[in-house]
Amino acid sequence: MAGVTLKNVVKRFGSVQVIHGASLEVEDGEFVVFVGPSGCGKSTLLRIVAGLEDASEGEIEIDGMLVNDVEPADRGIAMVFQSYALYPHMTVEQNLSFGLRMNGNPREDTNRRVQKAAEILRINELMKRRPKQLSGGQRQRVAIGRAIVREPEVFLFDEPLSNLDAELRVQMRVEIARLHSELGTTMIYVTHDQTEAMTLADKIVVLRDGKIEQVGKPLDLYDDPANQFVAGFMGSPKMNFMEASVKSASNGSATVKLVNQGGAMITLPVSDGPAVGDRVTVGVRPEHFRAAGQGDCDIDLNIDVAEHLGSTSYIYANTKSGEQLIVEREESRSEVGLEKLTASIPAQQAFLFDAQGKRLN
Amino acid sequence: MRARNRIAYGFLAPYLLIFAVFWIWPIIYSFYLSFLSTRAVPWTWAPHMNWGRLWIDPAFWNALRNTLVILFIQVPVMIALATLLAVLLNSQLLKARGIMRFAFFAPVVVGEVAYAAVFRLMFNADFGVINKILTGVGLPAVSWFSNPTAAMALIIMAVTWRWVGYNAIIILAGLQSIPDDVYEAATLDKVSKTKQFFFITLPLLRPIILVCVVLSVIGTMQLFAEPFLITNRGGPGGATETLGLFLYRQGFTVLNFGYASAVAYTIAGLAIIISLINFWLGRDPK
Ligand SMILES: Nc1ncnc2c1ncn2[C@@H]1O[C@H](COP(=O)(O)OP(=O)(O)OP(=O)(O)O)[C@@H](O)[C@H]1O
Ligand SMILES: [Mg+2]
Repeated sequence: MAGVTLKNVVKRFGSVQVIHGASLEVEDGEFVVFVGPSGCGKSTLLRIVAGLEDASEGEIEIDGMLVNDVEPADRGIAMVFQSYALYPHMTVEQNLSFGLRMNGNPREDTNRRVQKAAEILRINELMKRRPKQLSGGQRQRVAIGRAIVREPEVFLFDEPLSNLDAELRVQMRVEIARLHSELGTTMIYVTHDQTEAMTLADKIVVLRDGKIEQVGKPLDLYDDPANQFVAGFMGSPKMNFMEASVKSASNGSATVKLVNQGGAMITLPVSDGPAVGDRVTVGVRPEHFRAAGQGDCDIDLNIDVAEHLGSTSYIYANTKSGEQLIVEREESRSEVGLEKLTASIPAQQAFLFDAQGKRLN
Repeated sequence: MRARNRIAYGFLAPYLLIFAVFWIWPIIYSFYLSFLSTRAVPWTWAPHMNWGRLWIDPAFWNALRNTLVILFIQVPVMIALATLLAVLLNSQLLKARGIMRFAFFAPVVVGEVAYAAVFRLMFNADFGVINKILTGVGLPAVSWFSNPTAAMALIIMAVTWRWVGYNAIIILAGLQSIPDDVYEAATLDKVSKTKQFFFITLPLLRPIILVCVVLSVIGTMQLFAEPFLITNRGGPGGATETLGLFLYRQGFTVLNFGYASAVAYTIAGLAIIISLINFWLGRDPK
């Protein structure tokens, strides 16, 4: 068991810098998820931890030891690749035991570990098959099994579920959560699926353009995002963002005008005082909208599409000036077929961001 | 037949005609010829003569032995070298990879006569560069063209030089189809580069190497240009006479087309049998 520490890690490919000074503390036994849009450097950062890429600058520590110059195989990590990377010409059993056999591990111990991994992942019946003869989900299990037999200190997963269909993805997500609670090993998991991130993580690391935007517990990131990017990234459906301009600002609060909502005004508590006339953005999560008159600012909406899911419904609406909003409502049978809706924003649950996306309240 | 198909066959007709006249017909006709006595005009039906003669003709057995010796030494050596070369050409460390790949492929494009002339000069017993080097490092000079064993070695080296790059390029294509992450997984499994080569690369290349072996077997069974041009028509004294050369001599020097046809069918038959054995030996273990 081991924690992982990154200190000011920088990565350049030739002249292109893709990781800009990442620092991070992963506790022993923790499940940490890297999320972020495509190309933000999640895989690169993971591969730096694995040792498959060298850091251009900075330090990587595993279990308190500096590992910058330690061979990947000696870092006590095991990695599961997005493409599975199984050995195509070997059976499942050989895939699992290959590394141990090549390193002269005693046969009984190898067999015991392979057997245990097969049981944990329920792939006993597949042991004599080749990867070609397996479904995507089965291949993924084998890939995870190959990581388990190494008995690593740290598991690294690079989007392990992204090649699976939606149903299997949910199933494997549960399996991975079970694996973590059974083994109790440190895991670093890369995904761009924020549901996976929310459900699996003890701690989420949000990355953008090679920078760590925020680190925190899933619900903390959801309730208290540091900036507009994190606010928009966490949560599904996404947070609504409405353009606004500051009309008046006093100590501890600001009144803003929602420019695309027919000039509706709302007064929000702020910690960092914006100046009058500033362009700002008001953020409201779909589920925080209230019925007309029950919040602090009513806005009139034209309904484009309404998705009625039985327990809740998602209303995709726009205003006269064309701003798109998503409103989540408790399901009400009488609302089916409705064309207009008035929703109300509660000031206590609204977020305010400045033009650079910095959080103001 | 639909009108469209008829038009299509109309366009194909010239090709099919040429194919039939210059390909199919000679194949059939030479089979028929192998049952004729063609030593004197008029040719007469003598079904046992040519095929019977094969068994007892020492010149045929000599050519067969030479061909098989070349085959069993040259093909394995060349394929091993080609595999090694492919790995080197695939290396990230190699500079100017494109030029290097072309350089090793180039011998295939060079005309046979030109390449034979260069080899004759290089291996010339008196002033060739090879003997200069050998004597330079204190070894005795070799009579490449008058010593039977040396002449055989010369043929093997020449054929290998000519075709090794070609096979390396084919194997290189196979190498590039192996995904990087398989090697990364092996690296994480603490498998050394050498073991990766023997336990991952080679098994995954097996189908491609098999194709190269079979193509080389077929090529070597028909070997003609090198012994004809480099060692002076199979010299010294028939020591490098191959089946291809023997066939040529019977057909176009002696003009005994019946016997030459029987030899041709023997060559094709042996090539097929050896190839099938290769496929069988290299089959996917289940
Ligand atoms: N070997 C490389 N050479 C040059 N640039 C690279 C290399 N690998 C990655 N990059 C660049 O680094 C950046 C980060 O890539 P990375 O693969 O880490 O993204 P990611 O967050 O994993 O994206 P995705 O979600 O699509 O997998 C990208 O801009 C990519 O183009
Ligand atoms: Mg990636």
